[in-house]
Amino acid sequence: MSIDVSGVNKRYGEFVALQDINLTLPTGQLTALLGPSGGGKTTLLRIIAGLETADSGSVVIEGVEATRLPVQKRNVGFVFQHYAAFKHLSVARNVAFGLEIRKKPKDEIRAKVDELLRLVHLDAFADRLPSQLSGGQRQRMALARALAIEPSVLLLDEPFGALDAKVRKELRDWLRRLHDEVHVTTVFVTHDQEEALEVADEIVVVNEGRVEQVGSPDQLYDAPANEFVMGFLGEVTVLGGVRLRPHDVEMTTAPVPGALEGRVVRALRVGFEVRVTVDVAGQDAPVTVVMTRTHARSLGLEPGTAVWLAPAEGATAVASATPAARPAPEAVAG
Amino acid sequence: MAETRRASAGPTTYVLRVLVIAYLALLVAWPVVLVGTNAFANGTQAMVDVLADPDTVHALQLSAIAAVVATVINTVFGVTISMLLVRKEFPGKRVLSALIDLPLSVSPIVVGLALMLVYGGRNGWLGPTVEDWGLQVVFATPGIVLATAFVSLPLVIREVVPVLHELGTEQEQAAQSLGASGWQTFWRITLPSIKWAVIYGVVLTLARSLGEFGAVKVVSGNVLGETRTATLAVEERYLNFDQEGAYALAFLLASVSVLAILVVFVLRARGTRHRAFERQS
Repeated sequence: MSIDVSGVNKRYGEFVALQDINLTLPTGQLTALLGPSGGGKTTLLRIIAGLETADSGSVVIEGVEATRLPVQKRNVGFVFQHYAAFKHLSVARNVAFGLEIRKKPKDEIRAKVDELLRLVHLDAFADRLPSQLSGGQRQRMALARALAIEPSVLLLDEPFGALDAKVRKELRDWLRRLHDEVHVTTVFVTHDQEEALEVADEIVVVNEGRVEQVGSPDQLYDAPANEFVMGFLGEVTVLGGVRLRPHDVEMTTAPVPGALEGRVVRALRVGFEVRVTVDVAGQDAPVTVVMTRTHARSLGLEPGTAVWLAPAEGATAVASATPAARPAPEAVAG
Repeated sequence: MAETRRASAGPTTYVLRVLVIAYLALLVAWPVVLVGTNAFANGTQAMVDVLADPDTVHALQLSAIAAVVATVINTVFGVTISMLLVRKEFPGKRVLSALIDLPLSVSPIVVGLALMLVYGGRNGWLGPTVEDWGLQVVFATPGIVLATAFVSLPLVIREVVPVLHELGTEQEQAAQSLGASGWQTFWRITLPSIKWAVIYGVVLTLARSLGEFGAVKVVSGNVLGETRTATLAVEERYLNFDQEGAYALAFLLASVSVLAILVVFVLRARGTRHRAFERQS
């Protein structure tokens, strides 16, 4: 096991940041720590790195007891949200930093830096200053810098959080490919469920200082352990006391046994899909149904149309702990 | 400074501008220029006379030594205290921060008297002990250096602290995660990042130290050819009706300060351009 966290607690004054965290991450895997802001995921990452110390509990990295080791001795690569580029050093010197500290021979450093700059597609920018790079390029430089020391684990704190949507998507695909090439055990923190679902082998959902669920993207999406995980991974609507995804609600214009009757309030088209709001008798909050544009047209939906709603077969559903009277919480999107 | 909005350049603006310019001219520019014209009222004769007097040359050397030593001390301590104030949490931090401004607000003559109370050779609190070790503080060069260092203490700190704040700790943490020790992080990352602030601080400290008068007058003893600094020599000449000599020497001191301010001005402009460039993209 590459990273072994057990019984970790952390408080900041009265605020409990982490509460009895136990986590085991296997070697070579790409893991996402997913959760809302202030949920403790960054604190956990920084405790693994040694940038923060836990109040109690232990951290073992590659079989080495690291709880008391300072960050310098842990051999972890850390990538910061805002790049933490060394502004006064060229791109090549940034990448070489860890190797210079380790007093490696000059030609070995040069060879390694060249290799890494090629890997992150920055070989043409070796002599530039970080200020002359775009955000995405700076973050790739930071990654090369972290990889230069051949870390036992690579830790990334919201690595794409400061980038615009398009670059974020590109870098995300690129990180996945890079990980398939380099195979270093990687943990990244994100609050964007799409990012986690797309990139990670395994997702750890962290909320209010606790681990809510650990599993593969499929496991989490198909079998969420609780309401929170379900709500965080995607949009949720409540139908007859059951929480399910809006695209898992089947809608018909004729009565079906077991289906609940309702009336269409409005149908909103967003690109290829249509979001239909339906008032269901005996339920305070309306139900949201998502379907394709084609399907909606074939049903001929108008405000006031009577429809019947039922969960689709095999739908992911969690019994609602809160009565259906409360409006369904919106999924938190990145 | 980068105010480009010119929409409201009404009569009030012009009145204000004239007022400000007149104020600065009457209070600063004109008097300083007059020192120059007086110094050269009879050509360069006064300057030549001043520089030919060995006691005056000694005073200039003493001022230079005291200023340089005080600046070195204040740079080392200033950077250290700035790092403490910005990067560490400890009880009494606010008190320390307030205490650092004290030398700016207390009259230098009070500083001189306070130093006498501590280091006075006969009845100072610490003076006799130190004198037993064979080190004379008061009425000697160490006392002059102490007084100068006291007065110019906050200048490096006040330049460095805001820059350290703005810098943040991420680069330092990144360096440490790459294996750098605290010392390596400071030399390779922190110091290069605060370089310009330290340089401004050093230049300001040097200028302020050269001009120190009140505190030095008390602790130096003002002995001709021994503990008389350049500023004290100016006063002495002025009081002895050697006005030309006083103005010549004053002009020399003022030129060094103006030069220092010019250096700061140029560096600051460069630093601003540098930072603006870094913020691009």
